[in-house]
Parts: sequence; C-alpha cells; structure tokens
Amino acid sequence: MGGKVTCTLGEVKQRADFIIYWGGNPAECHPRHFTKYTIMQKSRFLPRGRKDRTMVLVDIRETKSAKAADIFLQIRPGKDFELITILRALIKGQPVADEQIAETGLSRAVVDDLIARMKRAKFGCMFFGMGLSMTRGKHMNSAALLCLAAEMNAFTKFVAMPMRGHGNVTGADVIMRWQTGFPFGISFNRGYPRYNPGEFSTVDVLVRGDCDAAFIIGADPGATMPQPAIDHLARIPTIVLDPHVTHTSRIARVHITTAPQGIAAPGTAYRMDELPMPLKPALKSPYPSDEEVVRRINEAIARKPFWLPDGRQPQMVATLG
Amino acid sequence: MPITFHLKRPPTVPLEAEVLSPDVVGSLTNSEIRSLTVYHGKRQLPLSEFFDVEGEQSDDLVFHGALNKVRWVGRAMSRGSITVHGDVGMHLGAHMSGGRIEVHGNASDWVGGEMKKGLIHVHGNAGGQVGAAYRGSNIGMKDGVILVDGSAGLEVGMRMRRGTIVIGGPARDFVGLQMKGGTIVLLSGAEIRTGAWMNRGTIISLQPLQLMPTFACSGVQNPVFVNLYSRFLQSWGIHLPFAASEGVYRQYRGDLAVSAKGEILIWQPA
Amino acid sequence: MIRITGGKVYDPANGIDGEIKDLCIDDHGKFVASVSGGRTIDATGMIIFPGGVDVHTHVAGGAINFARAMTPEDHRRTQAFMRTKTRRSGLGGMAPTTFATGYLYAGMGWTTVNEAAVPVLSARHTHEELADIPIVDKASLTLMANNEIMLDLLEQGEFERAKQVVAWYLWAAKSYGIKAVSPGGVAAWKWGKDAKQLTSPIAGYDKLTPGDIVTQLARICDEMGLPHPMHLHCNNLGAPGNIATTLDTLKHLEGRRAHIAHSQYHAYGGDGWDTMRSETTQLAEYFNTHPGITTDAGAVVFGDTVTITADGPWQHLLYKLTGRKWGNLDVENETGCGIVPYTYRPSNLVNAVQWACGLELLLLIRDPWQVFLSTDHPNGGCFWRYPEIIQLLMNADVRKECLQKIPDRIKSSMVLPEITREYTLSEIAVAMSAGPARALGLKEKGNLGLGCDADLVIYESDPDVLKMFGHPRYVIKAGEVVIEDGDIREAPQGKEFLVKPAYDPATDEFMRPLFEDHYTMSFENYPVEFERLEHPELRDCIPVTER
Repeated sequence: MGGKVTCTLGEVKQRADFIIYWGGNPAECHPRHFTKYTIMQKSRFLPRGRKDRTMVLVDIRETKSAKAADIFLQIRPGKDFELITILRALIKGQPVADEQIAETGLSRAVVDDLIARMKRAKFGCMFFGMGLSMTRGKHMNSAALLCLAAEMNAFTKFVAMPMRGHGNVTGADVIMRWQTGFPFGISFNRGYPRYNPGEFSTVDVLVRGDCDAAFIIGADPGATMPQPAIDHLARIPTIVLDPHVTHTSRIARVHITTAPQGIAAPGTAYRMDELPMPLKPALKSPYPSDEEVVRRINEAIARKPFWLPDGRQPQMVATLG
Repeated sequence: MPITFHLKRPPTVPLEAEVLSPDVVGSLTNSEIRSLTVYHGKRQLPLSEFFDVEGEQSDDLVFHGALNKVRWVGRAMSRGSITVHGDVGMHLGAHMSGGRIEVHGNASDWVGGEMKKGLIHVHGNAGGQVGAAYRGSNIGMKDGVILVDGSAGLEVGMRMRRGTIVIGGPARDFVGLQMKGGTIVLLSGAEIRTGAWMNRGTIISLQPLQLMPTFACSGVQNPVFVNLYSRFLQSWGIHLPFAASEGVYRQYRGDLAVSAKGEILIWQPA
Repeated sequence: MIRITGGKVYDPANGIDGEIKDLCIDDHGKFVASVSGGRTIDATGMIIFPGGVDVHTHVAGGAINFARAMTPEDHRRTQAFMRTKTRRSGLGGMAPTTFATGYLYAGMGWTTVNEAAVPVLSARHTHEELADIPIVDKASLTLMANNEIMLDLLEQGEFERAKQVVAWYLWAAKSYGIKAVSPGGVAAWKWGKDAKQLTSPIAGYDKLTPGDIVTQLARICDEMGLPHPMHLHCNNLGAPGNIATTLDTLKHLEGRRAHIAHSQYHAYGGDGWDTMRSETTQLAEYFNTHPGITTDAGAVVFGDTVTITADGPWQHLLYKLTGRKWGNLDVENETGCGIVPYTYRPSNLVNAVQWACGLELLLLIRDPWQVFLSTDHPNGGCFWRYPEIIQLLMNADVRKECLQKIPDRIKSSMVLPEITREYTLSEIAVAMSAGPARALGLKEKGNLGLGCDADLVIYESDPDVLKMFGHPRYVIKAGEVVIEDGDIREAPQGKEFLVKPAYDPATDEFMRPLFEDHYTMSFENYPVEFERLEHPELRDCIPVTER
C-alpha cells in the first residue's frame, strides 16, 4: 500500500496502447500532451499511432478533451474515490452490487467493459489531473488511482502519473527530496527537516496564521489560496520574487523583479515525469535571475550572527525507540 | 500537589513544547521546570517566557489558558496526568504510552497520533487524524482509549491497529481509513467514506451512514461484544444500545477492495 | 601541510602491512616525502588506512530520490544532522539525504564513492545530486544493457556501430563507466516479462540473447579502454537456483575484464523459496580460479532497508511478497527501476541465507583484491553499517554469536558455520579501499604512496572492532582534516571523475533520427553539458590491448 508505479513520457509514447485521463482536461490545460506523448504518436510498437491506441477520459463534465477520447465516461461529481475503489475490488473478482456501481454514474456494463479493456491492454497508463487530486478526498483520490495502477500489474503492465501544474513544481519537489528527504510541507525550525503535510504545508500554515514572514518564489498564492491565507500574507512581511506584477506582489511589502526563467534566465526545469530539461534563455533581461537574488540574500544572511546564542545548538525532537 | 501552568501570553507562532510531559517535569524542581527549553518558531526560549509555573516534582500537570498554538503537549508520556482548562494545539498525547490526558476545551489535529496506551478525553471538539498514523507510517494508534465528546475532522483512526476511539459529535470523511484493527464508535455518525480500505477492525455507528460501495451487508445481529463494550464505556457516560427489544445492528463487511475482514455495525432502532 | 607521525600504517597497494611510518601531505592534498611547517598529528598507537572506496552504491539520482519520498516514516526515526554555521542539515537512515550522505561516508572514513546506476536521460539530475554530496570524491556508471538503440544494433550484428553509440552515450551522460543490469531483462519488463535464460532470445527480439549482450558489452568496454571494466549485475537476481545463470554469465565473459556487482544476490541454489540455499562455494571457486575478475559482496545486514534496483521484475515480485509499498519508474529506451522497502529477518530462511552468502563470499574468495566490501547500498543494508560487516569478517566469535539467532533448520542451507577464516587489518584495508580503488582504475586512491591523493583515515587501536571502525579519530580528505574526534570539521567539495571515450564524430548524425524516434526531448538538450559538473576530473581511456 503506497508508492507509485510510473514511467517517463517516452515510454508512453513508445508503448502505451491504453491511456486513461482522469479528472484532467489536457486538450486545454496540457495542449501538447496528446500530440507529443500519448495518443497521436506512432512508434515501432504502435506503428499505426492513434489507431493502435485507446483513450478513455473520465470526468464529471464533457470537456474539449472528450472529443479526442475513444470512450468518455461521465461520472457523478465526488464519486472518483468510490469508482476507483470499485475497480480495485472488481479486478480482484470481488462482488459489487449493480446499484452501488450505478451510484457513480456508470452502468455495470460500462465498468465491466472498462476492466476488460484494462486487462487486455499491453501497456496501460493513467494520467490524473486536479479534477481528481484537488477535489474532496484530495491526496486519497490520487492514492486510490496510484494503488489501482500498481494492482493492475498483477494482470498486465500499468503505470500512473500526475498531470502537474504550471511552473517548475516538479523541480522543487525533486530538489527538496534530495536535500531534505521530503517533497513539500517541511519545517526547518528545529535545525533539521521535518515533514507533516497539513501542519507545515504552505496553505495550512498561512490559513492558521502560523508564520510571521513569507518569502515567495515562482508562485502566486494570492490568486489561488483561500481568503484567510491571503489575508495573512497581507498582514505579515511578504517578499515576492517574480518577473511580473501578480496578485501576491500587490499585497507584498517587497517585490523584487527577476528575469523570467527559461526566457531570460537559464536553469533546469523538471518535466512532470521528473526528467530534467535544461532551460536555454532566448532573451536578455536587465533583471537578475531568481537564483542570483537568492544567492545574494544568502550571502547577506551568512554575515549575520547565527540565529541561536553562541554555543547553543538546536535540539532534535527525541526519536522514539 | 499538581504542577500548574498558566499561559502568560499567547505565542505568536507555534510553540513546540514536548517537554510538557510528566516524564520530563515529574522529577524537576520549580526553577528547573521554568528553565526548560521550548521552541517559539525557531527560537529557543525558557518555558517561563510563556508560562507561570507553580509547584514541582509531580506527575500531575494542569494547564490554564488558550494553548491553541502550543504543540506536542504530553508527547510520548508514559505516566501521570495532564489536565488542560482551555484549548490545546496539535499532537496532544502523540506517541503516549501511559497516563491520562483530559482537555476541557478543544484540541487540534493528531490527538493521540500513533499512541501506544493510555487515555485521552477531549470534552470539546478535535481536529483531524485522531489516533492516526503519521504520513508514511503503516501503523496508527496501537492501543489505548481516545474519547472526543464533540466533533472530529478527517481520517479519524487512520491505520489504527488496536484500541478504542469514541467520537460523540459528527466526524468528517475517511473515519477508519485503512484501519487494521481496534474499534471506532461514532455516536453522531460521520460524513462520507467511513471505513474506506479497512482491513480489519470494527466501526460502530449509532446513526445511519453513507457507506462505500465496496461494503456488503451480511445480516443483522446484536453481537455480545457490543454489550461488553457498552459496559467498558459506561464509566464515561457512554451507552451503546444492544438489547434486541431496542433494535438491531446491521452488519457490513469490507472493504472489498482490500479484504472483507473489516466490519461496520450500524444501529437500527426498533 | 600535514605531517602524521608514529602511526601504524596499512597500505596494501604498496605492500605495507602495519609499519610505523610518518606520512606527509602537501598543500595540494598529495602525499609527499617531507614537509616543513604545518600541522603535526601525533598518531602514536593509532592505525592508519587509506580512505575507504565504495565500488558500488546508490546515493544520487532518480531512483534513490524516489526512495526518499517513499519513506518519510524512516526519516522521522533516524538521527538528524543539525544545521550549523558550516554544515547543511540532513537526515540519515535508509535513504539518506545528499548532505547527510557525505557526512556519513566521511564520518566512517570513506572518501570515494561510485554511484552505480545512472540512466543517461536523468544523468543531469544525478550530477546535480552528486554536487550536493560533500567531502567525498565521486564517480558514476551509465546504465547500458537494456538500451534499445544499442540492443537493436547488436541484434543486427553491427558491433562497431554499437561501440560508437555506447561511447557517445557515455560522454552524453558525463560518467565514468558502464553498468549492465540484467541484460535484456529490463527491456522485457517493459512488457511485464523478464529475461532469465542467458541463451534464449529476449522478448521483442529474434536472435539477441542476454549472453550476447554480456559478451559484446564487455568487449566494448575493453576496446574503449575504460578505466573500470564492465560493471555487471547478472540476470536472475535474487532467485533460488540462480547460481546456474551466474556461472553461465561468467563463462560468457571469459577472456574479458569484468566486475560482478553484489554477487551475494547471485549465489543461490534450490528450486523455490522454501528450498533456497547458499551456493557460494561454487561461485567462490570460480573467482579463486579466475584471478582477473573482481566482485563486491552486496552483503546483507539484518534490519530495515529500502531496496532499489533497475531490476524491475524482481521488485514487482518483492512487492507481491511483502505487500508493502512499491515504486516503479521505467525510463524510455534506456532502463527502469523499482523501489520496495524491506526488512531482513534472521528467522526467515531466504534472508538468513542472503546474510550468510554475503559473508561467505567475502571469506571464501581467497584473494581480498578480488572481493570488496559493499551492501549494494541501500539494497542489502545501509552503507553506514559497514563497520558491522568488518567486525563479522575479523571476528569468528562474533559470527558464531550471530549464527545463534538463526534457527538450526536454516543453518544446513549455508556454509558460514564451517568457516573459521578471520580477516587481518591488512585484508580489510584491501577490501574497503585498495581493492575497489584498483578495480575502479583510480590509481591515486586507496594508496598512501607518494603523489597519491591524501585521503586517509586514522583509527584509535581498539579490540572492539565495531567501535574502532565506526568512530575514526581523524579522517583526512585531499589533505584536509574533515573529521576529528567525531566532529565534522570541514565539508569541502569533492571531485567527480568521468571519461571521454573516443567515438566517430558521425555518430551524432547517426543518433539524431533514432533519438527523435525513441525519445521525447530535443536531441541538443540530451547530453549533459560539461560545464554543469562541479570539479570534474577527466580520466584517460586506454584500450586493454595497449596496456
């Protein structure tokens, strides 16, 4: 229970003859996904390209992506977790009543057909979007789909992958992991990394008013977070590094304009499948890069006295035997 | 004589105070207690910056004030008692292995997280993850009793293995998520996905529940153990009906997605 | 400048076995005949070893980073490294964070590590992580034996072209050598299958067998003249009865150089999980009669760990056996990896046999220059548990004590109870430093001779071997005292070794169309830019025939 069974996008391009998009609208949100990676490409294993692949879209409404799908499954809002759990039971041959299946908005015939196709596939891939991961159930919805993909490997090859949002979210996640052991939701207040989503994750810290300063880079929480979080950002000293004026920069005490990454500043971005891509700037910018600003802030901090009195070290929360 | 702690000023950022446990303060003098280190954000400060402390060398601790931002009270305690008059912050009694905690107010998330033994009684509401496993861990509460008179948040009893949790008010989603054993009693029901992915263990609800599709009704009964449980819970004024004349429990088995060894009992009055 | 006086020196590369000898280090971090001025360390009564060299470990890159994300519960229970003015914070445990990895290795006297599995596609990521591992010097090996472009060329009998392509890939990855994992097996796993027989064609191919890949890739490594021979993870890892596959693989390698990785996992008899037994006697005999070939133990220590390997099918099996977490990551065209947390238990037949096999190989292969200390970190156990293995090798009584924990019915499945050999200090110095350094072709490592890198470790002589090797008194890296009395004094940045094998410049244009077919990134962005490496050091390639 737990973990993730996944692959790089090139594997999908080469091999995936069965693709499910769940709670995502790639036609509008990831417009190159179909053509570059998933359904349009021909490969040695799938020489007829689109004809050799089956695409299923699962969503609560008919989006533009439905046109590209072979099968569109419209489910009732808030029934994702239930449907995935039904699939987990059915693939193992456990009985589920027809009326229970119908609650999700799909008939037994449709669900049976979906399972038959999943098991028949040579290489199945599930992509899931914010329609799954940010609706009621949140991380458990994602966990459910990851679990289903892992369990499908008892029958055939199956993988799953989240459709990450804009910006270099994956890169931040990857680097936090190698430096601290955790992807996000980390506190350093005891002098070493500690992890507890819900306690240390940004949105929760802001909503509860647990921080007395904020340093924001490559994000615009002022546009996406709940109002109490935004109110707290306005109350405390907030520093924003951003090439643009944003909702957050408007409420910030300090806004440092930086060169846009990938356009005027070099670096590395991690693709949603965690492959690092070098960014080669096309333009010059009069503004410093985020990296340079952070480096200079760091140097200035290094000249200040250590945050604890001389001779004192932070103490670990005692480990339990 | 218990040691009393009066909160002098509320912390502006979370105050991590895992030293507030009978195991730490029980043998200390008053001045030693006052100079114990707590973490106000990243700063180390003596406990006396935040609390007036009266008494010394006692396993019984009494707190007064709004401790909403004070975290880890009673962490890993193995003996004695803690009484809080007011609200208390996250991780109350997490990892505790003995003793009792009583809160006359509300508690935040992770009450009794991964606790091993002992008793926690919250007279107000609790947050999410009551008696739950911390992220990534396989096992939540291993034994002991958690009583919440009011409501509770998400994921009550997640991955618990043994012990008892009683929630008096309504609970939110995912009660007993991936439960491996133990008992959860819901006096006022819960929102959705109760018992999701449970492997073993029992959830008893006195109110109707909207169940996962992967639970199957396996009959009605009045199991003897409910009677035993009711007697066990009586001292806290909790009554579980069990007489056939009063009604029956409808039994559901699941979660079929993982096994069919868990059970949910829903009371149906006659 | 440092002068170390009065220590008892173990320097097997120069035939020095416990001589009292002074060592001098110049300002460039090299051993010299004499220095004037600088610090003097009085090492009277202490023992001096060359700094440890780990020939096979997984400390950086996509796979270990995946494992870190999967094990927050372990991070919470491990000892943390606090941030100080000179040190970054980090966490130890089963999959340590990068900064902690450097501190932990240096803290027990290891100064060079070889990251043994890098897919070219994510090599950029691996180098970024390696740059964040302080103190130690680093090398990395590129995964090659399941690269579909190369396999296609071998299938078509285009050996010369395949050689050019391998060299091209190696330079694209900016790494030090070639790692072959379960040749053909990972490619087959992409269809949910495996390649267990050396002589049967691989799924998706008409002729090409794992045996062909083994032979030809070893030849490519020799002809390119890589300093380190082909680093081979044999097919059929971990399976009962796999000794036949391993011996068959070794036959396919005759006349070639090779390093066999974690051979413990490839030395089992029996035909099922309940009949599994040790066949290390057979495997050790092969090494004892073939002095040109080297291996590392891949020893298992009891307790919790997380297993990480490019061997995807094995990991799926392990997940089914444990029912715990499972991570899997298939990398387009090149390889894949699987991650499963695991606990080795003495009461379990399979685990006990694995534990015994690792020690048996270390003890039955007579020449310590052929078999090196490793746990295939983190697969058999974490690298910071090496002192425990050193103790088991040096002390037959401790082994006996450990054997008492193992049920009698299991003892008949191993040969360890009959072995009385005890390692000498000099043999330990070979197995942990001089041997792996030589196998890696790093002449100035694992060697306290003049002109070599001043990487060394000074222990307080102590009959308690565990304490002695677990807590060195001083560790010196490139002439800097990095550990003193258990404290990290300096955390300098180490070097990264790499090679640039010669290849036909036309290979670029040959690769371009194939690349665009197989991959999903642009051809120009694929090779890691040399400028991205921190402190790179290019090493020469000399074809084996010209040595």
